[in-house]
Amino acid sequence: MSATIRILAVAFGLFGLGAPVVAHHAFSSEYDEAKVVTLKGTVTKIEWTNPHARFFIDVVNPDKTVTNWSFELASPNSLTREGWDRHTLTVGDAISASGFAAKSGKNMASTRTVTTAEGKALFGGTQGIQ
Amino acid sequence: MKGTMLIAVCAIAAGSVAATFAAQEGRGGGRGRGGAQVRLDGPVPHYPDGTVDLGGAWTGGGPVQDMEVQGKFKPGEIPLLPSAKKLMESRTPEDDPHAYCMPMGVPRQAGNYPWRFVQYPTHTKATHIFVLWEGNIHSFRQIFMDGMHPRDPDPTWFGHSIGKWEGGTLVIDTVGFNDKFWFDRRGHPHTEQLHTIERWTRKDFGHLDNQVTIDDPGAYSRPFTTTYTATLQPGEEIMEYICNENNNYGVAGGFR
Repeated sequence: MSATIRILAVAFGLFGLGAPVVAHHAFSSEYDEAKVVTLKGTVTKIEWTNPHARFFIDVVNPDKTVTNWSFELASPNSLTREGWDRHTLTVGDAISASGFAAKSGKNMASTRTVTTAEGKALFGGTQGIQ
Repeated sequence: MKGTMLIAVCAIAAGSVAATFAAQEGRGGGRGRGGAQVRLDGPVPHYPDGTVDLGGAWTGGGPVQDMEVQGKFKPGEIPLLPSAKKLMESRTPEDDPHAYCMPMGVPRQAGNYPWRFVQYPTHTKATHIFVLWEGNIHSFRQIFMDGMHPRDPDPTWFGHSIGKWEGGTLVIDTVGFNDKFWFDRRGHPHTEQLHTIERWTRKDFGHLDNQVTIDDPGAYSRPFTTTYTATLQPGEEIMEYICNENNNYGVAGGFR
């Protein structure tokens, strides 16, 4: 199955969603399952590295200030198996990201889904509730 | 003419080698991404000398989150000594060595990251069997098939393992563990007295049982045994996974 088809399959809920990927650390120690954030922003950086891939987006606040948010993904290996590759997100992309906020209160989240500029929904591979 | 014949012979020879290799890889279950379609309930593969072929990319076969739940023990059935119970209760998931990219030890596995048994050599009885893990961490373990335990092994993360075949079951006996890894994220502990006996049986093409006995008089009042099942991942391969490359966030990075 090609990466494109798998991504589309993910978008239609055939794979991924509801199939949590085990992180190398305890999700519950860092993120709050009860605090979901959904943000629109512009990708400023991608770290395609283990143990977790990560992307950063600039989010424009209501007062026009800009906050840079860090979104943790699953590992590049797990994401590859879900149909991602390192070019799936690129700097400058306008995206929407949904995830569980960090308990620390910092501008970080564990990604649940990413919706690309083209409207494709991608599973972020985070552990979430299990 | 001679040149043409030589090329033709080489081409045939190369094709033959490639076909053999593909067949072996297919038998082991892994032919890379988009590999062969296999039946998980198919027959157990064997090497020419009759030894069970444990090849293929597997996931599972050990505890991850909770040895009690995943090992199908009743609550409280695992016979923790009071000192071990106290130690376990003091542990939180943030302290799990696994989160700091340290090895899993035995018998823990790493969720959906595949691993392999590698038997060496394969044309006759293996003298060594290696376990190669993708994650977490990208590490290996060696089982000596023709050896004995040293009298006083240095304590290590994977201990000292010797193996033997009992029929189609690979029996791995391991001592010489350090006390640093956790059996699971819940924090089931052990001491340097830990002795594990794993009995790996390929039930069919796609399922590999690990009946593991944990014997540690320093942490448990009696030995206890349970079985975990690994599942073949046809067409899957081990990928590079260097956990400490960017483990700068969260618990390991002080939640920065």
